[in-house]
Amino acid sequence: MSERRAVVTGLGAVTSIGRNLEETWEGLVAGRSGIGPITLFDASGYRTQLAAEIRELPGGYEPALRRRLSRSDVIGLEATAEALRDAGLDLDREDPTRIGVVLGGGVSGLLDSENYLEALLTKGPGSARPTQVLNHPPDNTTVRIAERYGFLGPRSTITTACSSSATSLGYASDLIRHGLCDLVVTGGADSFARLTHGGFNALRAVDPEPCRPFDRRRKGLTIGEAAGILIFEEEERARRRGAHIHARFLGYGITGDAHHMTQPEPTGEAGARTLAACLKDAKLNAGDVDYVNAHGTATQQNDSAETYAVKRALGERAREIPMSSIKSMLGHCLCSAGAIEAVATVLTIERSVVPPTIRWGERDPECDLDIVPNVARDSRVRVALSNSFAFGGNSTVVAFGAF
Amino acid sequence: MSLMRPVVTGVAAITPLGRGLAATRAAIAAGHSACAHIPGHAALAARIGPFTTEPEMPKSKARRLDLGSQYTVVAARQCLADAGWDLAGREERTGILLGTGSGGAGPLTELERQIVLESPEAASPFLFPNTVANAPASQAALELRIKGPNVTLIQKDPAGLNAVLYARMLLTDGRADALLVGAADEWNAVYHAAYERLHVLRTESHPGFVLSEGASLLLLEPEESARARGAAIYARVSGTSFVGRSIAPYRRAAEPADLVATMRAALADAGLSETDIGLVHLSANGSPKTDEPEAEALRQVFGDSPRARYARVKDLLGENPSSGAAQLALAAADLRDEPALGAALVNGFGAGGNFMSVVLTAV
Repeated sequence: MSERRAVVTGLGAVTSIGRNLEETWEGLVAGRSGIGPITLFDASGYRTQLAAEIRELPGGYEPALRRRLSRSDVIGLEATAEALRDAGLDLDREDPTRIGVVLGGGVSGLLDSENYLEALLTKGPGSARPTQVLNHPPDNTTVRIAERYGFLGPRSTITTACSSSATSLGYASDLIRHGLCDLVVTGGADSFARLTHGGFNALRAVDPEPCRPFDRRRKGLTIGEAAGILIFEEEERARRRGAHIHARFLGYGITGDAHHMTQPEPTGEAGARTLAACLKDAKLNAGDVDYVNAHGTATQQNDSAETYAVKRALGERAREIPMSSIKSMLGHCLCSAGAIEAVATVLTIERSVVPPTIRWGERDPECDLDIVPNVARDSRVRVALSNSFAFGGNSTVVAFGAF
Repeated sequence: MSLMRPVVTGVAAITPLGRGLAATRAAIAAGHSACAHIPGHAALAARIGPFTTEPEMPKSKARRLDLGSQYTVVAARQCLADAGWDLAGREERTGILLGTGSGGAGPLTELERQIVLESPEAASPFLFPNTVANAPASQAALELRIKGPNVTLIQKDPAGLNAVLYARMLLTDGRADALLVGAADEWNAVYHAAYERLHVLRTESHPGFVLSEGASLLLLEPEESARARGAAIYARVSGTSFVGRSIAPYRRAAEPADLVATMRAALADAGLSETDIGLVHLSANGSPKTDEPEAEALRQVFGDSPRARYARVKDLLGENPSSGAAQLALAAADLRDEPALGAALVNGFGAGGNFMSVVLTAV
């Protein structure tokens, strides 16, 4: 029996620079930044008052349902609707037990439960609405998507901080590879909250100014929010129905650093191990890789460790290919970062344009790869990797290839 | 294309009924319940109470860790010791997969308190890393130096069973040689109070579930390599299944047909029939809206006088993904001690229409 493989037949996105996939892609290619003043809560006491917020949430929900949906649910549902339309599926003719939903999530509806907690702490239990806590569990968005479309196949929600949604792509591809699903809605939706902003502030890991990945002057990340959804479909089936195939999912590598809860392993040894595991799974050689979508958070430690890791894993090839960080435009979307970066990676392959690392000005000798400074570049990309390195040393690298 | 049927070579359970699987089993056999009143609340909780990480980890190190992580580190050490799995030289080929419903809840609510009541500047940088739900798995990996796949899954009640499904896929594809698989949770006062006001928790006068905590783990390995290293084998993971239902994420509801389908799918995956099952660990946790359809589904699958013994331990242990993982550990130990049971079915029928079953087979 031939190997079952996952291809990408649908894409959807909601970001700080675009209400949908095309607006987001246009923004990425134009080097547009979604970073601006925080509006979702009073951020005056923090190290920075900046984030890449989604300014206008998708509407169209009846109020009774809308009250029960978190920000993450709303953007996740919107991106899923777009991705399913893009996939051209006639859902009435599909077997719902063969359709899975696997997302990364973590912050999820925390903003709502923070409102509960704030009322609880400042005004007492009488004035806190406990239903707000119901919005917090990170598997809510996954279940909301399954509920809305009646999907009855396996569901899973991965929470490994900043690598959550990259890992979800791996799990989703495994469901197809092992015959448990024919279609999987995968990726992630994660939104902004005081806790993540406050936590990264406390770690002094946020830049008071908009983030500058790979720049010598970088001082940390800027937090963002986004939904990125991919429809994974079994290749033979997708071909038979004449689906438009954006790209192939070639494989993934998943490892643990066991180095430190908040610091990457500095020499790049751990990151290189994840990259090597991905190349092995995807049956690729370093020379096959044409582009790396960087984790590129703009913390001092990540950007240098990631550069060392890519050089260790790809050798000479690392210097020949572009590696950019779209976090310079979208901020660090935490548990949906891997998803939105995977969406961008697929479009990079399909449209032969590499999005830039914006706001770059000063070379850092420790970040000496071609980071595509400031301006997008036409480049033929047949195989691309997307890196995700998380708190807790949870690392995942995914590989996509041209169809 | 079928998934590997890995074997269980080690087990550990840190539960409200005992600091280890043996103590937990003894308490269950004696009919002890961990569900108890806690000060200031009408709803019961199943709490672990005073806990020491020693001898598995020095107290000085434990201070930095949230409770869920402490339980996990101790369970991980116990599980690896039980399996005779020496990590030295195999760090990169050993992984950890945990389900959780509440990982990081304690540090999260404390950090929120600091931000809201004090100021953003008062937020502790030491707390933040532990607010993520993957803190228990990652802290355990850090402490034990586990460098293989490291994944945390959230799926309310059946998250630990889901970890078993993912483990089978990872082992089938050779991404690790051994995986610590299970779930970890920490009881949290804020969550308890919120759920209490939503009337889903058990009180003297109201049925419902009881929030629990703990960490339970199994070491899963491919059977061939486990036999080659001479490992003692508890049981084989021979079937897993998932069936969904379209309902809101926090609603508890099921049709018996959904649950019949879930159990039958796991049996089919295991290549077994209902008469092969000698032990069923029920999902039942005191919530009528899932307990009653499960009881009906069991009648439909196993009949009115089943050969299988039904174990309803969540009445004693409380509910959270860690309880599902404890059921897997208990079932594995029972199959080792009583191979005549043949096989065990473990059900996890959670809120949000997430229904899973796992079949373990005696070897």
